[in-house]
Order: sequence, then structure tokens, then C-alpha cells
Amino acid sequence: MKKRSTLFLYVMLAIPIGLMMIPTVIVLAVAMVPTGVAFIMERGKGYYGGLTVGAMNLAGASPYLADLWTQGHTVAVALGIITNVFAWMMFYGAALFGWAIYSTTPAAVSAFMTMTAGQRITGMRAQQKELVMKWGPDVESVYEPPGAAAAAAAAAQEHATAEPMAPKR
Amino acid sequence: MAEAATDLRQPPAQPRAAAAPTLVSVAAAPAAAPVASSSATAPAPTPTPPPTPQSSASGSFIVVRDRFTLYCDRPIPALDMPNALAYEVVDRKQEGRPLYALVCKPEMPTRVSVMRILKGLEIPAVLHMVDWGVAEWPLADRKCVIVIYHRPLGGRVMDTMASTFKRVPDHQFARAIIKPIADGLVELGLKGIAHRAIRPDNLYYMDEQRTKIVLGDCVTSVAAHDQPVVLETIESGMANPSGRGGGTHADDMYAFGATVLMLAIGRNPLQGVPDAEIIRRKIQTGSYAALVGDERMPVAQIECLRGLLTDDTEQRWAATNIDLWLNGKRLTPIQAKAESAAQRPIRFADQEFHSIRPLSYAMYQNWEKAISIISDGTLEIWIRRGHEINELADGIDSAIKSTGAMSMMGGNKGDTDDVIVARVLMLMDPKAPIRFRDFRCFIEGFGQALAIAMLRKQKLQPFSDFINRELWRHWLGAQAGKIAADNQQYETVFRDLKNYLKDPNSGAGIERCVYELNEWQPCMSPLIENQYVMEVKGVLPALDASAKNANTKLWPVDRHVAAFLRARYAKGTGSQIDSMNDPRPDRATIGMLSVLAIVQWRLGPEALYGLAGWVGALMGPVINSYQNRNKRKDLEKEIPKLVRKGNLAELYNYLDNPEERQKDAEGFAWSKAEYAAAEKMIYDFEHGQMDRQESAIKLGRQTGAVAATLIMFVTFVVVLMGKLL
Repeated sequence: MKKRSTLFLYVMLAIPIGLMMIPTVIVLAVAMVPTGVAFIMERGKGYYGGLTVGAMNLAGASPYLADLWTQGHTVAVALGIITNVFAWMMFYGAALFGWAIYSTTPAAVSAFMTMTAGQRITGMRAQQKELVMKWGPDVESVYEPPGAAAAAAAAAQEHATAEPMAPKR
Repeated sequence: MAEAATDLRQPPAQPRAAAAPTLVSVAAAPAAAPVASSSATAPAPTPTPPPTPQSSASGSFIVVRDRFTLYCDRPIPALDMPNALAYEVVDRKQEGRPLYALVCKPEMPTRVSVMRILKGLEIPAVLHMVDWGVAEWPLADRKCVIVIYHRPLGGRVMDTMASTFKRVPDHQFARAIIKPIADGLVELGLKGIAHRAIRPDNLYYMDEQRTKIVLGDCVTSVAAHDQPVVLETIESGMANPSGRGGGTHADDMYAFGATVLMLAIGRNPLQGVPDAEIIRRKIQTGSYAALVGDERMPVAQIECLRGLLTDDTEQRWAATNIDLWLNGKRLTPIQAKAESAAQRPIRFADQEFHSIRPLSYAMYQNWEKAISIISDGTLEIWIRRGHEINELADGIDSAIKSTGAMSMMGGNKGDTDDVIVARVLMLMDPKAPIRFRDFRCFIEGFGQALAIAMLRKQKLQPFSDFINRELWRHWLGAQAGKIAADNQQYETVFRDLKNYLKDPNSGAGIERCVYELNEWQPCMSPLIENQYVMEVKGVLPALDASAKNANTKLWPVDRHVAAFLRARYAKGTGSQIDSMNDPRPDRATIGMLSVLAIVQWRLGPEALYGLAGWVGALMGPVINSYQNRNKRKDLEKEIPKLVRKGNLAELYNYLDNPEERQKDAEGFAWSKAEYAAAEKMIYDFEHGQMDRQESAIKLGRQTGAVAATLIMFVTFVVVLMGKLL
């Protein structure tokens, strides 16, 4: 109930603003289609896809918006922009770049993180070796995650109680 | 103990080859050495250690106490004792003084407490002990007790027990033989000494004219060990020679009586008769009658001999009675009460018995058969009906039942039967020693019997049985006339011994029992046995000296050394020996070091180089008990330096520094935690691939969004700035 009233409030505010900025709304309505598509595609996976594509999409639209706002904020200028093929290339090219960013950064970050972890493991192994050199093998221990011991015991029991199978002929 | 240290004058800890020259030295015989007597040239009859010396051109000698030159190649077999060999001695301060030395055999304990009293004392009619000490004896390659006596110039009164004696005329007999010896016994009695070696072949003539008779040595073996059965009371004769106990003045008087009887007859009237038969005859007819037999006794001596050979200890003459008798006072001994005899005999081992004591002895001699008349009730019925001694019959019944009940809880039947027989014999003849198959011992002789068995490497099972089966308690229970305080004393002693036997640790066991029971028993550890160590102060120097030859992989504190220290120096070493028994090797090793260190710290000597080296090489477990490898290396470097100082206390303090130990333990704990934390992190890195992928995607998307937003803002700013400017 509360959500619905909030949405109603936003709509009531947006309508007058939109009416006041119709040229801008016209340009954005054409330019920001990829952003809308991105939000719809990435629905349920967070809004990072929409945000990335939207930001780049807006960045691509920014020169034409600037033209609109500086050369007279009229519907005619707006129509002039949306009928310009280069403007479309700019809007959708920037959105494509945003999608490219969204697609490639996780792989890059993952590769970076893996590289860092390897270095840290090597460092810790060296540190452990030093400890063993100084304090002897008694200092060593094996880490068992919580529940691992219980799982192993259960597996062993299962193995122990399993009825031996008769060898097949 | 302190006095003993002065007496014995243990040489300082040095290798045996360099043994204290000021006290004992071995060298070529000096030119002025006296010529050996004709008897001395004869070979020594006993080849056991100390062995018969080899004669050499120059000969060899040792100097005892810087005063007495003892010639190793001049034995005097005529003066040998059963457990000591005689050698010529010259007193450097008083040359020409006739002396001889008895070198004691190491397998026989000596009577040190008696030596300490007799040394230097001139008691009439007792061989004068000039000095004694412990010295290196080259012929045995070990230290031995050496006793120096005035040499009796007239030789032995009887060479052996089988020899004959030229009878002294009756009118001279009492004055020539009985009086002097009785005077000597009075003196010994006043000093609280029982001689326990009064026999014809241990009487000597001090002068060449053979007029002055003296009692011979009584310290080179345990009391009464060398006494033939014929010269011992019935009870003492029944015991093993080693288990006869210290004895009393009354025992001396009996031996004196038997000796006088033999001298009066001129020979041993029971020569060749087996010991068992001698005892049987004594029980059957009384000692006097058994010894006299068909011999004709001089009338003048009969009264005295009857008084001395009375089997009832209470009625037996004392040495003072002899004086009265010599002065003409009539002291007719009261005849001992005849044993009660049953009208109906009991048949046992193809013999018929009317009295209890002879039957008891026969039962002992036929041990295997004895259980049959006990268990079938024949014996009990015979005592109840034939003798009407219900108390004894009840006692036997109770012994059978209680022993049988105990056997139900465990133990085999043979052992139970043996205990029943032993207990019944105790009840039938309470004065007899405790008899358990071949083991025959008085309760007061148990300690010395154990010591001898251990020295001779004999089986010790009978001794542990004696303690564990509480035969001593049954024997005490059978003694009607014993004082309660005596019983309590024995009760305490044997309870402690039982506890020692139960304890398998070092410092306890049968070894502890032997040292607790024998005040002067030297340490019998194979490591220092040769050094004849009688006091705690001598243990470390002896170990130091043996370090060269000993197997240094073994601990210097073995079971014997631990038991010896525990028995002689419990307050000083108790807790250290306890820690030596710790199951952890490092704690046990440091405990062993602490035992030696505390003794050195309290009793010296300051430096023990050999022992420190020996102990230092055994410190592996202690070094390894430190976790820090660097610390271990430091210890390995430092220990040789401390060893070179010879100070075990310093070594101990360095190795068992509590601060260092704590530091090591804390460091180890920290490092262990650090290792575990690293291990966990590694595990997380290695096993968190999936999580990392997810987080990488999430982070990558966030990064992309942020980057795009930044680009957008920058673009906006740049475009707007370009348009506006």
C-alpha cells in the first residue's frame, strides 16, 4: 500500500517536470533504450548491468544533451538530434561499450585475485617452513574445517557398516 | 656416618690406577721387608677372591693408613678365616710389632658396627684389633675391608674342628681356659657385643709358649655365619648360617660351653655327624647330653658345662656366673622342663613321636609329607587329645583355615600348602627360625641373609616371599613371650619393606630392602661395587672413577645406587629420585642429573670430570625436550663447557632453567598457533575457489559500474565545460 502511494507520488512529480523538459525527455527516451533493455535483462541479478550500461549510455548522450540545452531547449532541436544517425551511433555505441565493461571486469578481477592468492599461499608456506625449521615438526598441524571431522567419521561408519558385496562371477 | 668417613678414609675420586698414594699404594717390596714365615710361603687354601697372590721376586705391598705395610705375596694360611685371608703386615711406626691382616672376601658383609667399637680396644682374652679400613686390594682388583690384628704367636688352639687338642690337666683347665675367655666375654657383654664366633678353631695363643688364650676374629663375616651347628643353640643351628641374626650374650655362652666341652674332651665329640642329626639329638636329649654322649667328662667341669649348655635361654649361665662358679659358689642349673609327651604317639615319616618339638623338626625335614598330617586333621587331633593343648590345636586349625581362605582369592595350591606348613611349624616350635622350604631364617637375621644372597647372586624369591606372604607376621604372632614393642618395631619395618617391594621404581624394590636392613652394607651397584662404598659421600667419587670403564650408555644412577641413596640419604634425594622415575624420558633424565647434582652440591667433591662427561653424554632427551632448535644447538655447544668444569649442579641449573623452559614453551605455543593460522588461511585460499569466483564476479560488476559512472561524470563535465567556455 505504502509502495503504491510512493510510486504515485513519483509519477505526480515526474509528470510536471517531464512536461517542462519535453525536448530532453524526447532525446533521452530514444537514447536510453539500451539502458532499459539492460535493466530488464539483468533483472534479479542486481542492477550493476543497468547501472554500467546506463552510465555509459548517458555519457554517450551527453554531447547531444549539451547541444540541446545550449542551442535552445526546443522540440525541434530534439527531433533534429533523434533523427541524426550519428547521434544514434553515439548513443548505442556508448551503451555497447558499457556492456563490454560490465562483461569483462569480473574476469579481470578474478584473474587478479587468483594471482594475489597464489602469492600469499607461497608466502605463508615459507613462513610455515621457517617455523618448522625453528621449532621442529611438532609445531605442524593440519587444519580441519568445522564439520569435516564429523563428516569423515560418518563416512567411515557408513563404510564400516556397509554389507560386503559378494564378488560377481 | 661422619665418623665412618674418618674411619674408612675413602680416597678421592681418581682412576684406580692412580688411587690415593697417601692412603693406599701398591709398589715393589722394600728391601727391609721382613722375611716371610715358613707358614706364609704355603699357598693360600682358598682360591676365591681375594685370590692367592702370585709370588714374585720383588713382591708387592700396599700401605694402609700410611702406616701398615701389607704384603700381598706373604699370605699366612694358618691364620685364614673362612671369609678372610691372612697376610703379613708391618707397622711402619712400630717395627717388630707382631701384626697380621685379614683381607675380607667381598661376597661376605662384615660387622662394621662391631669393628668401630673394637678398634683399638684392648679387651682381655680377645684378639686385639689394631685398625681396620677399606683399601684397594690388587689381588682382587677391587677394594676390600682389611682388618689388622695383633698376631697370635702361638697359633690356633685347634687347627680345625676335626683336629684334636692336647688336654689340659683338670686342675688347670678352669684357670687356663675357662676364666680368661669368660673374662673376655664379660667385657664384650658390657660393650653390648655378641662375639658369635666362639669355636675351638677360632681360639688362639697369643704367646709362643701357648699359655695365653684369646678369642679370635669376629668381624670378617656376619654374626655366627661360620659357626658349625654343633656350637650353636638348637634354634640357631636350625637357621641358615646367613640367617642366624646378631644373636645375644646367651648365644655366646652356649658356644663357649660347647667349645669348653670340646677342649675338655680334646676333640669334637660329634665330628662327622650330619647337622640334621646333631639338631635332632639336641632336641631329643638336650644339648648337654647330645654333646657329651658317651664321653667321660671331668667332674669339675660338669656343673659349668651343664649351666652353659642349658637349652633354656633364661636359665643359661652368663659370663658373670662363671666368675661365681670359679670362686666356689655352687650354681646348680635348674633342669629345663621336660617337653610334654603324649601317651599315644603320632606316626610320621616312618617314625613315632611323643613330643611336639621333635615332630616339628621331622616335619620340616620331610616338608612334602608334612601337609598330609596337617590337612587330614591327624596332627590337630593328636595335639588336642594326646597333649590336651587346645590353644595350639586351635591355632593350627585357624592357620589352615585362614591360609586356605586366602588361597581362594588367588595362588596355587602348592604355595598355599607351603605357607600352611610354615605356619604350623611356627606354632609347634615358636623358638625355631622361620622355615619355609629351604629358607630358614630368624626375623633379626633376615637383613644380613638378604645381603649375602644378593652379594652371592642367589635367588631372591624366598626373601620376597618372606615379606609378601607375611611369614614374619605369623612368626611374631606365634611368639608368646615377645615384647609388644619389639613386635611393633618389626611390624613397622616389614610393612615398609612390603611397600618397597610393591614399588617397581628405582629407589625401591628388593635393593631398597637390603640397604634399609643393613646399615653398613656397601653399595652393590655393578658400577661401583668394586669401590666398596659404604656412605653417600663416597658414591659420586666412585662413579667418577668408574666412568672410564663403565658402559656410559647406561645411567650412573642404577637401581642399586638409587636404593642406596634413598636408604641412606632419603631427605636429600627423595624428591629427585621420584622425578627420576618420571615416565617422560626428559624429565627422568633431568631427575637423574638432579640426584647426582644435589649429592655433589651438598657433599662434594667440587669437581667430577669423569662423571660429568658421562652424564653430559646422556642429556640427549633433556636437550630434545627444548622445542627451539636454536636453543638445542646452544645447549649442545654449552654442555661440553660445563662438563669440563665437572660441576653437576651447574650443569643441572643450566639445563633445567625454569625461565628458559617457560620461554621455550611460550614460544612454541605461539609458533604452533601461528602455523595453525597460516594453515587455515592456506586452506581457505585453496578450498575457496568457488567463493572467490562469485566474489570476483560481484566485485568485477561493482567495479564496472563505478568505472562507467565515473566516465559518465567526466564526460558530462568535459562536454558542458566545452560548450559553456
